[in-house]
Amino acid sequence: MSTEKKLQVKNLTISFRTVNGKLQAVRDISFDLYKGETLAIVGESGSGKSATSKTILGISAANTIVEGGEILYDGKDLLKISEEDFHHIRGDKIAMVFQDPLSSLNPIMRVGKQLTEAMLLKNKANRRECRKKLADSLKSLNEAMNGAGCQADKGMFDTFRSVIKAQAKYERPYDTAHTNATAALKAAEDVLLAIDKDALTTPREDCRELKNYAAGSVDRFVVRDGERMKNLLTTMMRQAASGERSKDFSALKQTVTELRAMLQAALAEEKPDFFALGCYLVLDQKQIGDENAQTLNRLCAACTHGSFMTRFMDCACAALRFSANRSAQAMTDALPRLEAAEKQFSDQMPDESGARKLAKELSDLVEKAIDPLETVKESAAYTFRVSLISALDTYYKGVSGNAAEQKRFDRQTAKYEAAVARGKTPNGKVAPLALVDLDIAKQSIVHILSNMREQFTARIEAVRGFDYAKRGEAYLLWLRETAMGEIHKVTRSMAKDAAIRTMEQVGISEARKRYRQYPFEFSGGMRQRIVIAISLMANPDILICDEPTTALDVTIQAQILELINNLKRERDLSVIFITHDLGVVANMADRIAVMYAGKIVEYGTAEDVFYHPAHPYTWALLASIPDLNSKDKLEAIPGTPPNMIYPPVGDAFAARNKYALQIDFEEQPPMFQISDTHYAATWLLHPNAPHVEMPDIVKDRIARMSKLGGAENGQ
Amino acid sequence: MANEKEVLLRVENLCQYFKLDAHTVNKAVDNVSFDIKKGEVFGLVGESGCGKTTTGRSIIKLYDITSGSVYFKGQRICAGTKSYKDAIAAARREKRGCTDKTRLAELDQIIADNRKEIKSAKEDHKNADRKLVNEIQMIFQDPIASLDPRMTVRDIIAEGLVIKGVKDKEYIDNKVYEMLETVGLVREHASRYPHEFSGGQRQRIGVARSLIMEPSLIIADEPISALDVSIRAQIINLLNDLRNRLGITILFIAHDLSVVKYFSDRIGVMYYGKMVELADSEELFRHPLHPYTRSLLSAIPQPDPNYEKNRKRIVYNPIADHDYRNSQPSFREVCTGHFVLCDDAEFERYRKIVEEG
Repeated sequence: MSTEKKLQVKNLTISFRTVNGKLQAVRDISFDLYKGETLAIVGESGSGKSATSKTILGISAANTIVEGGEILYDGKDLLKISEEDFHHIRGDKIAMVFQDPLSSLNPIMRVGKQLTEAMLLKNKANRRECRKKLADSLKSLNEAMNGAGCQADKGMFDTFRSVIKAQAKYERPYDTAHTNATAALKAAEDVLLAIDKDALTTPREDCRELKNYAAGSVDRFVVRDGERMKNLLTTMMRQAASGERSKDFSALKQTVTELRAMLQAALAEEKPDFFALGCYLVLDQKQIGDENAQTLNRLCAACTHGSFMTRFMDCACAALRFSANRSAQAMTDALPRLEAAEKQFSDQMPDESGARKLAKELSDLVEKAIDPLETVKESAAYTFRVSLISALDTYYKGVSGNAAEQKRFDRQTAKYEAAVARGKTPNGKVAPLALVDLDIAKQSIVHILSNMREQFTARIEAVRGFDYAKRGEAYLLWLRETAMGEIHKVTRSMAKDAAIRTMEQVGISEARKRYRQYPFEFSGGMRQRIVIAISLMANPDILICDEPTTALDVTIQAQILELINNLKRERDLSVIFITHDLGVVANMADRIAVMYAGKIVEYGTAEDVFYHPAHPYTWALLASIPDLNSKDKLEAIPGTPPNMIYPPVGDAFAARNKYALQIDFEEQPPMFQISDTHYAATWLLHPNAPHVEMPDIVKDRIARMSKLGGAENGQ
Repeated sequence: MANEKEVLLRVENLCQYFKLDAHTVNKAVDNVSFDIKKGEVFGLVGESGCGKTTTGRSIIKLYDITSGSVYFKGQRICAGTKSYKDAIAAARREKRGCTDKTRLAELDQIIADNRKEIKSAKEDHKNADRKLVNEIQMIFQDPIASLDPRMTVRDIIAEGLVIKGVKDKEYIDNKVYEMLETVGLVREHASRYPHEFSGGQRQRIGVARSLIMEPSLIIADEPISALDVSIRAQIINLLNDLRNRLGITILFIAHDLSVVKYFSDRIGVMYYGKMVELADSEELFRHPLHPYTRSLLSAIPQPDPNYEKNRKRIVYNPIADHDYRNSQPSFREVCTGHFVLCDDAEFERYRKIVEEG
């Protein structure tokens, strides 16, 4: 698992405004999502799982109040960016599989259009964005090279640009053709199997499917003999038509076998090194003729180490070093100012204009310290300005508004009580007092500053240990990917092909026919699969799955989970998986956060939570799952979750918890650390707490599991 | 275990076809037969769209079945006519080219017999004893959609009695309170509306509604699929309780095999309208024979990360797994109480598996 943080949620607090008062849905939760990992959020309905995920995606309901916290993604705080900016993130970078397939599909659009719509629109936006990103980064690279003393002329950048463009020009069609060839091979095998088993009922349709894929696999590097392929396909379609009449498929079988051999040969070939090819074409100014990938690879191998590339890499590494050092220097300069400001804010808050002036000055300093050549924007420096300003806003709003608010409340209460005293039923209620707690507001300002200072110190330390050769290569790779994004144009038919392939991946049969149908023609499970397909089409960075398989049956559930797992592996996707079913989570999750009443009560790796559960709520959840190996009476959790308009003073689970201690009703437990990765918020972990064993049903199951696991490991 | 017990419900060759358009017919349930014995829980599993809900709904006469019969306490309550009509049509076709006198007489006899059958089937289907049919009740899947939001809980639960013709208000009230207490709710809940309840409590209201008719058979159509895990346990425990206390027979329809295993005495596995395997639940899990059952068992998720990481899902592909070119499969008893849909070759193989293991 990578240590790159894709998404950071810090101290998020969300409430809903309701008629009866403020409902606290999420109370101060924090978690990180690493690249390529699955984080499962488990809890009952109403525990705030969906509220969290919807806030991450910026689609929370109108009565939502985000009371505090940060959601950091790619150098942006998702709670503070504008709706305009969110368009670039929602669906494209962060996609969501919704719980209810009925309400998340457009009833009057064919599913095909709904599948391709996002892909086509996003492609346009993505190309524009990539072009800008590439130009910007090449510009800052150039500047840094000059700063580092490398003489980088404009011609060098133009050459490099054409290299990566040449590479992308060949790589994209190769990818498409390769996927098509894989699909065609599978289709060919299906047809052959059906012929063997005498079960080919719709030969023409099956063959058309095969034909569509096979026709798409013709490329310079995949199926090279396009003419022969075309002839084969024509023959095949003729034979399929005549076979349908005569029920004799022997000729068809021969053709398909030939086709299969051709596809197998194509897929067995070596993958060309496209970057080397780009160098070969542009730097060495060679032409490619009819060579196959193996020969080309041999020819091009040396090009990546040619004089131009060596010089370019050297300069790039020097530029990276220069830029990192420059930013570290700026950080060192900013540190004392930050410290002074922190002291000033915590001792005596300055007046409003003074504070804002100071904030502006600090923000300028911090932003100057940002390394422009950093490709992963996970530093809080990017969001420093907005978060500081919003914290100041909160504080000064409190300073000026608290008195008025108190006055309003007093007046209304007096009126209300007077009416009650006269024996009348007052119409309307008194809106609750909404004061800004100045201490907390001040603390959050100081926290922003100290957090920034800690990050800077850590970064200055880290810069000393950088391996610039490695970073240079990573940077080059990033440039190449961005260039690919710029060149990659999706046409309508490509989008259709991709949509049909995704539909097949999620287990929809006869995808080509179904592509043209409306949502009402699908059953519930099928609709859910369409929803999943739509979210996968945009090829997101982060996928949020909000109970995606709750409405599906076990086989399909297993299929969908496998699909999400595969995609995660292939695309290094980060997944947030929200569910109430712990059984599902065991298969998917790297780490698990158990939520109850808006708080994370236990947090750890899957092994931690399943084999060493520490919180009574986790025990209760585990005890309520029926087991294949026993018929013990299940332990249902008594009662219902608390009403979060009046959140309990102590541990929210105390009222339903048979292990509750006296202190559970009086004070909220802090997070106790059990191991490096495992945390739980329960007083039972306090050193002075009495020793409590988990329920027998859970203990038995864990004992059985570890025995089973031990036996398997022993084999 | 339940072999000696009296058969409460017998389903014979049940077919339920839906016409999609003039030419295509959707065979939602195709030739399904099974018995449910008194006091047992019979689980029906399969993926969505395999016809398990349709089977349940056909039994309780929400659909008019296409062909086959359903016997409840020995009486025929549902009957379809298609098989007889088909037989008549076949006989007529044969008659057209036939010259043999004796054969012609035979065919006439067949037609007459089948006509009689059709008449009696229609008669039975139409005039089935209402009182008897009332003894079958259903719990629906979605506790939100299946309760009328404009009726109080009391009205919802009492509706069956009112339709039945009971007018004594006090009797109805007492009965409603009794049912509420049976399912673990309190009297005060009677005057509330469904939206004031949580999912688990709503499903309890659904259970109470079916219990008030004093049924001897409850058809529970995925009663827990729409519920949270912690609440699922409450409902399962409740149904288990009712079964032990009141001796109710339950037809439990679900797609979650771990729940069905936990809860049922016998399990029937359905695939695309056909029953593919039927056995005691222990036996089914010990010797899953049909490849579809195996694939279903391999898909059950377990709360155990190590097990999950090694779990291999078996994919069921009807074309690759069976070879039915020469012989058509039929539903056969491999060992006592264990039926599988198979042909001769498979039958021998399955027998061997059961004997060995």
